[in-house]
Amino acid sequence: MPTYTRTNAWNNGGTFNNPILLWYAKGVGVMQSRQLNDTSSWWFFAAIHGQRIGQSASFPDWTTLPSPPQVRTAPPPSQSDKDLYWDQCQHQTWYFAPWHRGYLLALEQQVRAAIISLGGPADWALPYWNYFGPNNQFQMPPAFAEQDLPNNGGPNPLYVKARYGPDFSGNIFVPLQFVNQDCMTNDLFTGDDAVTPPPGFGGPQTNPLFSHFGGTSGNLENNPHNLVHGFVGGRTQQGARGLMSNPLTAGLDPIFYLHHSNIDRMWAAWNITSMQSNPTDNAWLQGPPSNGERKFAMPLPGGGSWVYTPSQMSDLGQLDYTYDDLQAPAPSVAPLMERLVRLGVLEDEAARAAEGVAPMITGKQIELLGASPKALKLEANGARTMVKLDSKVRRKVSASLLDAAETKNPDRVFLELENVRGQGDADVLNVYVNLPPGARPDNHPELLAGSAGLFGVSKASEPDDEHGGEGLNFVMDITKIIDEMHLRNALETDSLDISVVPYQPIDESADITVGRVNIYRKGD
Amino acid sequence: MRNRVLLISAVAWVFLFAGTQFSAGVESSVAAASESHSHHASSASLLKMNPPASWAIEWLLMLAAMMAPTLITPLWYIRVRNFARRRLRSSALFVFGYAAVWMTVGALVLAAETGLKLLHVQSFWPAATLAMIALVWQTSPAKQRCLNRCHAHGSFAAFGASADLDALRFGISHGVWCVGSCWALMLFPMLLPLGHVAAMAAVSTLVFSERLERPTPPGWRFRGLGKATRIVLAQTARLCKGLRLVAEQKD
Repeated sequence: MPTYTRTNAWNNGGTFNNPILLWYAKGVGVMQSRQLNDTSSWWFFAAIHGQRIGQSASFPDWTTLPSPPQVRTAPPPSQSDKDLYWDQCQHQTWYFAPWHRGYLLALEQQVRAAIISLGGPADWALPYWNYFGPNNQFQMPPAFAEQDLPNNGGPNPLYVKARYGPDFSGNIFVPLQFVNQDCMTNDLFTGDDAVTPPPGFGGPQTNPLFSHFGGTSGNLENNPHNLVHGFVGGRTQQGARGLMSNPLTAGLDPIFYLHHSNIDRMWAAWNITSMQSNPTDNAWLQGPPSNGERKFAMPLPGGGSWVYTPSQMSDLGQLDYTYDDLQAPAPSVAPLMERLVRLGVLEDEAARAAEGVAPMITGKQIELLGASPKALKLEANGARTMVKLDSKVRRKVSASLLDAAETKNPDRVFLELENVRGQGDADVLNVYVNLPPGARPDNHPELLAGSAGLFGVSKASEPDDEHGGEGLNFVMDITKIIDEMHLRNALETDSLDISVVPYQPIDESADITVGRVNIYRKGD
Repeated sequence: MRNRVLLISAVAWVFLFAGTQFSAGVESSVAAASESHSHHASSASLLKMNPPASWAIEWLLMLAAMMAPTLITPLWYIRVRNFARRRLRSSALFVFGYAAVWMTVGALVLAAETGLKLLHVQSFWPAATLAMIALVWQTSPAKQRCLNRCHAHGSFAAFGASADLDALRFGISHGVWCVGSCWALMLFPMLLPLGHVAAMAAVSTLVFSERLERPTPPGWRFRGLGKATRIVLAQTARLCKGLRLVAEQKD
């Protein structure tokens, strides 16, 4: 039995009646009392994820953030400490999950050490916020909204002023009509197949030699991770941004670590309960140093450094911790069979008989099917564009759907938002296909291609950032929508009508643009 | 696609190694000019010995050999962002735009090279001076800006003449940033009295290595071989470990 068990923050109502949360608050308080240059301080750990200090007079610079917390922006640490530890966060890469696991373990050790120094439990472990839990667990645990600790314990270190939520009000919740656990039915860490949209559960492989495109989050990272960041951080109607909405400030908010604890729990459940495998490539196992990039390094309590690789992050038993709940949604059974039933190729009985058989291999050719004519500038209520389809390629898709058989699988179709740029890190864009004019998007969930959380978009839009100013890309599986069009004989069309609908009206200063909307087919 | 581009580069290197007549021609003509003590006659002699067409071929070969590997990423981007039937055409337009920029620069470089060689026959001074300038440029924030822009690709039209124009435009802009990043490095081997090809190979390695680095905020710093060296070391260590394991299994 592992020494440490992470438990649900909503135990005992998610209030300070949950002793795990009360000790977390006290431990965070100790870390927040330390200086920026102390490798055990709250501020130093936030900077390990990402930081901007003293470079500009606007968000996300730490010198401009409202308090609480009173963010310490001095004294600066040594250059060697900065070079070793700061700005390590891994996003839009297959290192997302393992890097964050090590980051959580290191933070947890620091908080635990602080708790022990206060006479707290030696087996304290970081709780998780499972927004998919029953009842009102989609709401942030109430302890984080309290301004003071109980029994006149002073200010609550878990309280953050710049946490605005999805509807600008400071009511923090996760809208579950858009945030989902669909990624848990994926069966590939990297890549795509019949049940795994690209770029896979864990993210795209970072090609060491010829690709800096990246910019596309893995399925776990995109939804729920990115969306929860945007919804929890949020913004005000005056344009102030929440800490959680930007990777350069997110680590300052104590709720960050409970959100990531839940993401880590989902990865563990995917491995343990769903029995899905992590990559075995050397480039993943050994981490970025195999590509000539920085190693993963974390400061330890009392000094010293811990260097780790993704290969060391795969086994919770070896890491001496577990979760009290590792349930995972049941994976789709024979998804291709389900699709063939939907397309009328198979009867239900035949599909049931085929359950459990190995999934059939699908075609690997990927080809552009259509593209929008020009870049989209998103107005307050989003944007609408006609994506013109190439008639020859469209006929290939139609033919593959007509020829679908148990031995010949139909094409899959994906929508991509390419080069999404801007300052709206907190914004969430919902993308619909062929939404009738004047219709309320909420009434047409069957036309929803997917949701895109713009967490990190402002950084990715900077020309001298590691993304080269190319912004972010989002891929959505619209195969089911295309299948339905085919069944209604509506696929013989020259274009698709794509609506990009923001969850909340877009602030003008967000200046969000979409370089191009692409439709791809993948098949033979 | 990657292998085809690397093959083109390899073939160009073979031609460069084999075809040293151009360099030899320049050197012999410069020597003749030196003996005659007449710059006018020397220039005429140089042009006669090395007509513009020959210069252009030499420069194109250099481009193909040294720069083709750095084009794999933008060419891959063009491939995935175009309809299958347009891939070749858009790639060709991109390469044309890119090469046009470098050919324009090449004409200026070759003119400067000829002029400098007339003034400093068989001297290392031009190359040494340029090496100093290249060193300063290599460490400058401006160089980093250019390098960062070499990673940009933007979005372009997929249909009709707009798609052609955008592919051409992408090639030109990529070429401009590439020139900004590599101009000094490219000039350096041209000015050496001897050892052109070896210097070109060294510069080529440096240019390719620079592109492996992620875009980063501009600043004064040494840059170039860091990441490439780390990759080589990591892969070598992995190979050694593998060999050691195999040897242990045999024992």
